[in-house]
Amino acid sequence: MSLNYIIAMLLFTLGIYCLLFKRNLIKMIIGLQVMTNGLHLFLISLGYRTDGIAPILSSQMLAGNGAANFAALAVDPVPQALVLTSIVINICTMALALSLAIYAYRHYGTLNPFEIRRLRG
Amino acid sequence: MIFPHAPILAIVIPLFAAFLIPIISIIAKRFGAERMRGGWSPPWGINLSINGLNLLIALIIASIGSLVAIYSVVSMERDNGLDKYYTLLLLVIVGCMGVALTGDIFNLYVFFEIMSISAYALVAFRRNWGSIEAGIKYLIIGSLGTAFILLGIALAYGLVGSLNIADLTGKITEIGATQPLPVIIPLMLTLFIAGFGIKIAMVPMHAWLPDAYQAAPSAISALLAGATTAIGLYAMLRISYMLFGAVAIGTMFIILGLITMVAGGLMALVQQDLKRLLAYSGISQMGYVLLGVGFATAAGIQGGLFHLLNNAIYKVLLFMCAGAIIYRVGTSNMDKLGGLGKNMPITATLFIIGGLAISGVPPFNGFASKWMIYVAGIEAGQAITYASTAIAVIMSALTLAYFLKAINLIFLGQRPMHLREVKEAPPLMLFPMLILAVLCVVLGILPGLGIDLVQPAQSALGVI
Repeated sequence: MSLNYIIAMLLFTLGIYCLLFKRNLIKMIIGLQVMTNGLHLFLISLGYRTDGIAPILSSQMLAGNGAANFAALAVDPVPQALVLTSIVINICTMALALSLAIYAYRHYGTLNPFEIRRLRG
Repeated sequence: MIFPHAPILAIVIPLFAAFLIPIISIIAKRFGAERMRGGWSPPWGINLSINGLNLLIALIIASIGSLVAIYSVVSMERDNGLDKYYTLLLLVIVGCMGVALTGDIFNLYVFFEIMSISAYALVAFRRNWGSIEAGIKYLIIGSLGTAFILLGIALAYGLVGSLNIADLTGKITEIGATQPLPVIIPLMLTLFIAGFGIKIAMVPMHAWLPDAYQAAPSAISALLAGATTAIGLYAMLRISYMLFGAVAIGTMFIILGLITMVAGGLMALVQQDLKRLLAYSGISQMGYVLLGVGFATAAGIQGGLFHLLNNAIYKVLLFMCAGAIIYRVGTSNMDKLGGLGKNMPITATLFIIGGLAISGVPPFNGFASKWMIYVAGIEAGQAITYASTAIAVIMSALTLAYFLKAINLIFLGQRPMHLREVKEAPPLMLFPMLILAVLCVVLGILPGLGIDLVQPAQSALGVI
């Protein structure tokens, strides 16, 4: 279980490293994705439960002491919903970033962010 | 040609229909209408929550949004792809409104992302080299910031298992009262402050802002300066004060505010480009807001929020003036301008009103809110508040210096030959500027109007 958190934080750190030190826009965008995916792994791990059941409630389960048993067994659905939303947002960011990278290549003839620096003052 | 601008109706109609809402609420009360949908009560369901602070921010966004939409009709008429432009403009306003009114912290993140992604696209809207470069910078830095916010939210959820802001406040305050303080609470606070600090361009994280404001269309610079910085500050205040209490955070806000104020002001002095100068002075003004809020007294927070309101008014006015100059002359480089006061007398007057208001000269609104911040700083009565008040007064004089320089370079002095034929900005462009200038004067002469707005906002924060 704790391996999940270690890997998640490792991915997050690697992503930030990639964002700060790589000299290619495409690699920086990959770093951004790695970082957010580390976050997603972290969120999913928060709600995970070994041998848990899917959090879907049916009418038979509610009989007797069923509701308490269900709560003790089911995984937490909230982080999963959050991760789904976050993935969609992430795709938007990536699509926009890649299209901007294409335009940057057209205007500047390079993807090195240290050469894309004409705005100064 | 009305059709390219038809999408503006999508903004104007709802904003004017908003005035009907009070009537609907009277009717709803009479018939006992249900306000909760889906049968989930707050800690579990996702809710909107309205208090004085929300209302102030929502008011700023709605008014700035509609004025910017009116302004865009003329200022964007030479661009193509206007349908996409208005869609993105609406999305920015939707995102801002959502952040302001939601009561759920994950919802806040989602709306924040909607606002940010549309803003990245709008900055790069003209697709020339400058706007693409500014868009990339804004996107990379902004995405890093929102990733920090998401990590903070994940930690908060892992700690207390709730996403409702009111619920989180109670539970985190309970945990925060234990000794020793769990290390996760300062970590969360750092993540939130870093994430929202990028959005309001606090000084160590401000590099994207001047480029973005210079390269974006003028209407968008105005919208970003007025609405999204207000949202960033609101989110930071709400999360940090409501979740973590005021005591230790106050000093940190004072120091960050001082750095932001001084560095922004000094950078503004040396700029040659008008929009860049306005961008740096905007950073400097956010320093004042942070300072006022950081005093953590009732008067200080009221002064800070009042300054936020005033800053939205005159900063948008100044960017709109810059846009009018670019529309008529084609450049915002101050070395190439001069003597425009004869050609554009109304724009010149409005720019001077905005410039004097931002410098805190008495009959205008900037004076009222800066005065409140100074008084609060002296009343707070600690060494650091005295020192920061003194620095704030000096920076105010510096603001006046660089705005006088700008007024001198643009509207006075010798007029180059090729500027002889420049005409006054079109009336549809002047109309929103005129409204903002009138607000500057009215709030300056009757500051009570503004204080009536910020008093409930301060009490909603619940610090004192």
